[in-house]
Parts: sequence; structure tokens; C-alpha cells
Amino acid sequence: MKLQTLRLLGLGLILLVFLALPLLLGDYWVYTITIGFYYAILAASWALLVGYIGRISFAQAAMAGLGGYASALSVQHAGLPPVLGLAAGVLVAGALGFVIGRLTLRLHGAYLGLTTIAFAEILRITATAEYQLTEGSRGLQVEPLLQDGSRSEYYYLFLAVTVACLALMTWLLRSRVGLFFQSIREDEDGAASLGVNVTLWKTVAFAISTAFAGLAGGLYAHFVQLITPSMMSLQEMGIVLAMAVIGGFHNVVFAALGGVSLQVLLEGLRELGEWRLVVFGLITLLILRLMPNGVFGTVADVLTDRLRKSGDDK
Amino acid sequence: MSLVAILEQALNGLIVSSFYALAALGLAIIFGVLRVVNFAHGELYMLGGYAYFLAVASMGLPPVVGIVVAAAALAAMGALVEWLLIRPVYDGRADRPEEYSIMITFALSILLLNLANSLFGPWPRRPEPLFRGGVEIGELIVSGDRLAAAGVAVVLIAVLLAALRYTWAGRAVRAVSQNREAAAIFGISVTRVGMLAFATGAALAGLAGALMGPVFNVVPPMGVIPVIKAYVIVVLGGLGSIPGAIMGAIILGQVESFATILIPDPSRALAYKDAYGLVLLVGILLLRPQGLFGTKERRA
Repeated sequence: MKLQTLRLLGLGLILLVFLALPLLLGDYWVYTITIGFYYAILAASWALLVGYIGRISFAQAAMAGLGGYASALSVQHAGLPPVLGLAAGVLVAGALGFVIGRLTLRLHGAYLGLTTIAFAEILRITATAEYQLTEGSRGLQVEPLLQDGSRSEYYYLFLAVTVACLALMTWLLRSRVGLFFQSIREDEDGAASLGVNVTLWKTVAFAISTAFAGLAGGLYAHFVQLITPSMMSLQEMGIVLAMAVIGGFHNVVFAALGGVSLQVLLEGLRELGEWRLVVFGLITLLILRLMPNGVFGTVADVLTDRLRKSGDDK
Repeated sequence: MSLVAILEQALNGLIVSSFYALAALGLAIIFGVLRVVNFAHGELYMLGGYAYFLAVASMGLPPVVGIVVAAAALAAMGALVEWLLIRPVYDGRADRPEEYSIMITFALSILLLNLANSLFGPWPRRPEPLFRGGVEIGELIVSGDRLAAAGVAVVLIAVLLAALRYTWAGRAVRAVSQNREAAAIFGISVTRVGMLAFATGAALAGLAGALMGPVFNVVPPMGVIPVIKAYVIVVLGGLGSIPGAIMGAIILGQVESFATILIPDPSRALAYKDAYGLVLLVGILLLRPQGLFGTKERRA
């Protein structure tokens, strides 16, 4: 009971800090953190798939790109308002995720990793090659989400969407469905023997995860107002993976916090030049090797442990 | 299409195949022994290119010595990586060994790519190749540096196959690939063979990078495309299968060489060139995950 209140308190405090930040920071940092929210949703959507159902995917960044392109192109060609464009991006990314999830049911581990790398690269190559539609590697101009929106308006919008996404994910993962996911992760055959529809939930998990990625990509495209195939690259995927791993990929909130804080750190350490990415890679390796729950996961574990112990003393 | 043009495409395909095979064999050996797909293989390939560049262009060593230096450096690096990062996969220290192995090698690839970017800079380098000039075979003209590199690659592959077949270490590697427990019961140190396999795999990637570096360019992201080809090849042949990797390389070389002709618009054909192999990869994984030569598992 006490643990529950403490957890809510912690989350409330983090939310308050994020609400207050634009009042304290300049435009540049507000912009940086807004991009950080894009990475937060993306890292959380990846953690939803890897951390809960145990299915690895290297196509998450490509799916964000797909959502971005789908949204931008539907706004440009079908004349949809950007909000409906975003919905189109979510649908397209979710639908492709459903198809990939369905096709790769038999695969797991490295085989699944290789298949999703192939899908990701095919998407990236297609976006580069179909230059009549996508402007190729020059990049596609995208309509802004808010007409004449200020930096802080975008910031609060992104914050709201991120919180909503995380709340939705947490609600889903706390429900029976989340238990189905985890049972599949722990023992697929065991779950099936207890009546869990493994085929259905494995496919649905993929679709949900990619739909969130598509939403993140659409938001990003309409915020930055430019979209290039490089946001679908495996290097970009590596950054998302590193964010989720450093934050803690067994919990969507920790993964999201990893996304925001690493984006801020990467910008803050700009004077280090390319070396910051080396440090970033090194930290990812060390965390994976020594602290598999991630930074926030480990901190939360330590705090919970302390609380339990002090509870015993009384 | 004339006969000469067809032969030219076929020969180009074969040359490319020999490079692909060298890189793919390393992946196959590592997977066979350790059941780990090395997602950092492309970056080991890239480091091989830089080792060759440093030896030949900076230290002034002859190209042949440069290739040996690259192989030795990458073998040492591979052994180190296995010891520091891969060992938890099979000694029970990692909670979910399979996920761990995928993520740790992927993270390693990001680290090495950025490290090379910082250390050597993003600009391309072109060290001295093994051989310069063109070679005429009948009516066909092939560039000499490619042909020489392909020749060396074929010799190296032959040496590797012989070593796997006839040396004690090679037999140990094959034994562990077939059955880990049985190999351990017969007195083979699976830990040492694991290290040997990773070192050999890294050395093969480094050799491929050292041979290809002067033909194309030595540049930090040089491994990104070849490693994807190597994935296609090992999946095509069956993960962990050595003859499968060689057959896969030959098939992919020919597919890429001829499939480019299928799309009439030349700029688009070029842009899609790297996608054919990926479509092949997805097809194989979905229809026959064990590949052409792999052994069937209940769940891939």
C-alpha cells in the first residue's frame, strides 16, 4: 500500500518537473526535450514488445518513419488535416506491424531480429528509391501540426501525448492482456497449454507496438516539418535500443524516461562531438552487462528494497 | 543480352560472392559454436579495413603483411569480445541469454561504429590494393584489384575448410557445433572452443574488410551493407552451416548481379539493388527458416 503511494508520488513529481520545465528553460532546450518525447514514445513502444512479450524487433525506427511518411503524404495528397494524417500513420504502421507479427509467428530470437532488420531496410530503401513520392534522401517537407504553434505549445502537446501513450500502455500491461504477454515471454508452450491464445496475442503485441511507433513518427514529422529516410536507419534503431536499455526495457515508463534523458544528455554533451556517441555506446554495453534492469529500474529496485526493509524493522 | 555481357555479369557475381562468403563464414562459425548471431560483424569487417589501412598507409608495410596484421588484430579483438561480453550467454549469468546476445552485439556495433567515426574521422580512405590494373580473360575485362582480392578470398576459404576438416581445433569446433554436451563429455573445453570460434569469426570478418577496403573505400559505415548480405547468406544456407554459407554466397552474388536488369529505370534499379537480398532473406525465413542446409529445429 505504502509502496503504491510512493510510486504514484514519484510519477507525479516527475510529471510536475516536466510541466514546469518550459517556464525555466530557453527555446532551444524546450525544442530538445520535445524531440526527447518522440524518443520516449518510441523507446517505450519497443520496450512493450521486447520487455513484456519477449519478441525482439529492429524495425521500430523504420516503423516510426513509415508512420511519419504515411501521415505526411496523406496530408499532402489527400488534403487531410494533420490530426487525421497522424491517425492514418498509426493505422498504416499498426497494419504493417500486424502483418509482420503474423508472418513471423514461428520465429524468435536471432531469426526474428534478422527478419525485422530485413523489413526495416526494405522500408528504408523503398523510401529512398521512390523519390517521386518521398523526395528520396533529400527529405520531404511536412505540414506543421499546429499552425504557427510556439515551441512551448508543441512541448505541452507532446508531453500530453507521451503521458497518454504511457498511461494506455500501462493500463494494457496491467490488464489480463499484459499477463498473457508475460506468460508468452516466460513459456510459450506453457501459456498455450493454459488456454492463452498465443498466436493472437503475439500478433496483437506487434501491431500495438508498431502503432505507437507510427504515432511517434507522425508527431515527429509534423513537428520538425522534414522527414528523411535516415530516420529509418539501423543507426537510429541503435539509439532507440540504447535509450530503452539504459532506462530499463522491462518497464515502459523507465524506457520512456531513458528516451527523454538521453536525448537531453546527447544535446548537452555536444562539445564532446562524436565522442558522446562512443560514451553512449559504452554505457549501453556496461548496463546490458552489469545492470540488466537499466538505470531507472535499478534505482527503483533499490528504493523498493529499502522501503521493504524499513517496513520489516517496525 | 549478348553472351559476353551474361558472362561478365556472372563473373562479377562470382567475384562478389567470394567476398561475401568470407564475411558470412565468420558469422556461420560463430553461430554454429555459440548459437549467437553476431550483430557487430559488419563493424569487425570495418575494423579489419582500418587495421589494413593503418598497417599499409601509415606504417608503410607491404599489402600482404597488412592483410596478416588485420587478421591478427581482429582475432585478438574477437577473443576479447567473447571473453568480456559473450560469455554470460552460456555460463548462466545472463537472465535471458538469447535476448542478451542480440542486444549486446547490436550495442557493440553501435559503439564500434561511433568509435571509428571519432578515431579515424568520417572521410573515406583508400589504402594501396594488393594489385593494380586490369586483367583480360578472352573478351572479358576485369579490374585486377578485385580479381586479386577474390583470389585471396578463395584461397583463405579453402584453408579454413581444410583446417576445419583436418586439424584438432577444427574438429573440436565442428564437434561443439553439432552437440555441445557430447563434445564437453569427450573432453573438449567448450569455453575455449567458443573463444576460438569468435576469434576466428572476427578474423574472417577482418580479412574480408582488409581485402575489400582498398577495392571500395575504408570508411566507418563500410560494414553496414556487407553485413546485411552476410545475414542473407547465412540464413539462405542455414544458420551455422559452413557449406550452406558458401552456397548462399554464390546464389546471392548471382541474384544481385542479374536481378538489377529486371527493373528498366536504371537509377531506381541501382537504388533497389540492396533490397533483393533482403526480400530473399524474408522469404527464406518465412518459408524455410532452417535454410537450404541447416538442421530443422521445432521452432526457429
